[in-house]
Parts: sequence; structure tokens; C-alpha cells
Amino acid sequence: MHIPDGFLPLWQTGIYYIITIIALYFALNWAKENLDEKRVPLMAVLAAFIFAMQAMNIPIPWGTSGHMLGAALVAIVFGSPWAAVLVLAVVLTVQGFFFGDGGITALGANILDMGVIAGFTGFGVFKALQKLNLWVAIFLAGWASIFVASLAVAIELALAGTFPYDLGLIFMGLYHAVIGIAEGAITVVAILAIQKVRPDLLHWNKTKSGSEVGK
Amino acid sequence: MGITDTIYVIEKESMKESILHSLDGRIKLILLTFIIIYAVFSTQIIVLIALEAYLILLIYLSNISFKTALLRVLILLPFSIFIIAFQPFVHPGDIIYQFPFGINITYQGLIFGALLFSRILVTLTSVILLSSISPMQEVVQSFRKLGMPRDFSMILSLMIRFIFLFYDELKKITNAQTARNFNIFNKKTAYSWRLKQLGFTIMMMFLRSYERGESIYLSMLSRGYSDKSKLYYNLNKKIGTPEYIFIGMTLLIVVILQFLAIFFFPQLGLLGAHIT
Repeated sequence: MHIPDGFLPLWQTGIYYIITIIALYFALNWAKENLDEKRVPLMAVLAAFIFAMQAMNIPIPWGTSGHMLGAALVAIVFGSPWAAVLVLAVVLTVQGFFFGDGGITALGANILDMGVIAGFTGFGVFKALQKLNLWVAIFLAGWASIFVASLAVAIELALAGTFPYDLGLIFMGLYHAVIGIAEGAITVVAILAIQKVRPDLLHWNKTKSGSEVGK
Repeated sequence: MGITDTIYVIEKESMKESILHSLDGRIKLILLTFIIIYAVFSTQIIVLIALEAYLILLIYLSNISFKTALLRVLILLPFSIFIIAFQPFVHPGDIIYQFPFGINITYQGLIFGALLFSRILVTLTSVILLSSISPMQEVVQSFRKLGMPRDFSMILSLMIRFIFLFYDELKKITNAQTARNFNIFNKKTAYSWRLKQLGFTIMMMFLRSYERGESIYLSMLSRGYSDKSKLYYNLNKKIGTPEYIFIGMTLLIVVILQFLAIFFFPQLGLLGAHIT
């Protein structure tokens, strides 16, 4: 899903950079207000965790493989989409500048898709469905985060004139709708396991006990 | 070579010694990013061929392995190739070949695909060169000196230290799973069961990373860490003659290329034509 350099015209990448910088400003402010000085090492280990997690291949039913995004997972655990924006921004910067996975001029667009859009979609779906069924809400949050982000990539490529809307939405949407099932299932298993082993780390448990996030 | 191996290869290459390795980190970062921006800006294949030739010359000067650089480019190409391969079929233009079911190949699509491929090649070569001649911490420090917000650069700096640790942990987990005959792609076990195992692995990694983060935070606190602490030491050198030569050479090449791109290359036919 990482857009490489050269697929988006420079003026469009500039717009995505501006949106991303504004989002990062709010994400850094959220971290300052909610996580205290502990935020730096904590966010750093989480970014490294997401980075390593994205290196793990997930088998996809029709014989190919994909990898997790992790935006919904981070947003749900921390109880804020800004956590996903911050963590994914760091991960994508490292992937872009050191590994060539996603472009440097397209970095703003990639953070917008996989950090902002995936993080907010995942968290929004989770909040909307949380009261109906917690685990269904987590599954759909994971699924929707990757699915909606892939549609955003298809729209950006279409706006750039690189790939037509209809085919882009069909290919990207179908492929990520399937990967999304794995993303949703793994997000549920991971959060379920955290709930059993270290429930204190989950945001909703902290809220119940009245303590602050990350302390 | 997977991404797990790439991380060690990058670090090994960046520790080599050469004239390019010894340059100031900021200069390398700015100039190679500048080449990427110019490559994205350019719409003529010949300009991109010239930029790629310049980057190959820099790879030669930097003493890094051509084979490793090429392998890294090949690993990164698939997603781009998917989009590029569709261009002849989806880009509007003059039809040069017709398939059944209304599928056509267009001349403009073929040329546009070639332009995208040339761009990808130049931009990937630039990133691979940058990461091969600059240790990760040097790049992060260059970011900081160039104005990246303090918090963001500190998270970046710490994250890079943890990446190696987590890859080792991931390798340990996967080795333990392999020793027990676990294979995520083995279709003899139920798909849902395999996803569950992956979920547990991710949970284990998350807990290990979180707990590691907590203990590191406590040890940092006990060593005097505060919100205003600096987490890196000075890796940047003084800007001297080699840096000025590198700046001058790169700018001169881009200026000459742009001059030729306007006044000379369009007369060369396909290679020099502006492709949109």
C-alpha cells in the first residue's frame, strides 16, 4: 500500500505533506498531554514493534500474502487515533528513508493514508460499535482501517492520473478487503491476549480504574 | 534477502569507509532528496537515465556492493511494477494493439509506464545510496539539525535502536516456531488457527516491547533523563571542501540537465520527449 516516489505529482504531494504536518502537530500535542515524559521511549518501542510486525507475512486465501498495518491496534490500545498517527508516521519515515518502502516525496500521502485515515477509521469504527460487541467492534475496526486506507490510496493515484478510479478502487478494495479479514482477526487475538495477560495496558481498563494513560 | 536481512545489510554498508561515507550527513540527506524531487519533477526519460548514471557513479565511489544495491532495488519493485504494468492498458492514447474483450495497448500508456519505471529506478537508487552511505543515527541527527521537531526526532532516534532488538526477538520467536514445525503458509492446518498463532506472536512482541519500553524508561530516569534531555551525540562533521565539491557537482549536473531538457533533449525524439 506504500505509494512510491514518482506516482504522485509534486504539487499533490505538497498538499498531503501539509495535511500530515497538521495531523502530526495534534498527535505530538496529544502525546504531551496524555503520556508525560514517558511518551518518548514508549512511542519509540511501539514504533519498532509495528515496524517488526509489518515484516511478518500473513497468508491470504487466494495464494498471496500481505502484512498487517497495525494502526487500529495502536489506536484501540491507547484509546486515541493520534497514537496511531504518531507511531505510523515514525515507522513510515524509517521505511521511506532507509528501506525505500514508500517514497520520500510520497511520505506525506503515505502517513495520511496509513496513519491518519487508517487510525481514525479504525478508532471511529471501534467507538461506534464498542457497546454492541467489543470483539466484533475490534475486528471491524481492524478490517475497516486497512480497507478504507487502501481506497484512499486508489483515490490519490487516480487524482494523480496514475491509475483510473474504477480499476484502482476495485483492485485495491478487493485485495485489502481480504487482507483486512486477517488484520481484523489478528487485532482481535492480540487485544484479547493483552486483555488476559496485561489488562492494565489497555486504555479502557485504565479509564475504569481512573488512572491516566501510560502512567 | 528479506527486510529482516536488509536491516543488517544497510547498517553494515553504512559502516564502510569512502569519500561519500565521510561527508556531512545533512549534505547527503539534502542532495539525495533533491535528486529524488528532481526525478519526480522531470518528465523526460533521458534526464532520468542521466541521473541514474550519476547515482551509479556515486555507488562506485562509495565502495558499496553493486550486487546488494541491485538486490534491494529488485525487492522493492513489485508494488510499483504492478501499477506500471497496467499503464499500457489503462492510459488513454493511440491504440497500437487490440486484444479481445475491448482490452487495448496504447502508445502513450507504454511511454508513461517507461517514465514511471525510470523514475522508480532513480528514486530507489537514491534511497538505497543514502541508506548505504549514512548510518541511521546520522540521518536522524541530520533531520533534527534541519528542523525536525525534537519529540519526533527523539522517538525516531530511539526507535532505530530498538529495531535491531525486535528483529532479533522476532527471529527467536520464528525459530522456535519453525523448530516445532510451525509454518504460517502450511495449508494442512486451519487458516483460522494459523491467524490465531500469528495474533499470539504479535501479542508476545507487543508485551515484550511494552515491558522493555517501561524498563528502559526507568533506567533512563535513574540516569538523569528528563523531558529536556538530548538522546543523541554529535555525528555530523564540519562542512568542508569534500562537501562543497559534492554540492557543486550535484547542482551542476542538475542545472546542465535542466538546460539540456529545455533546449536540446526535445529534439532527440522519444527519449527526450516530455511525457505526461
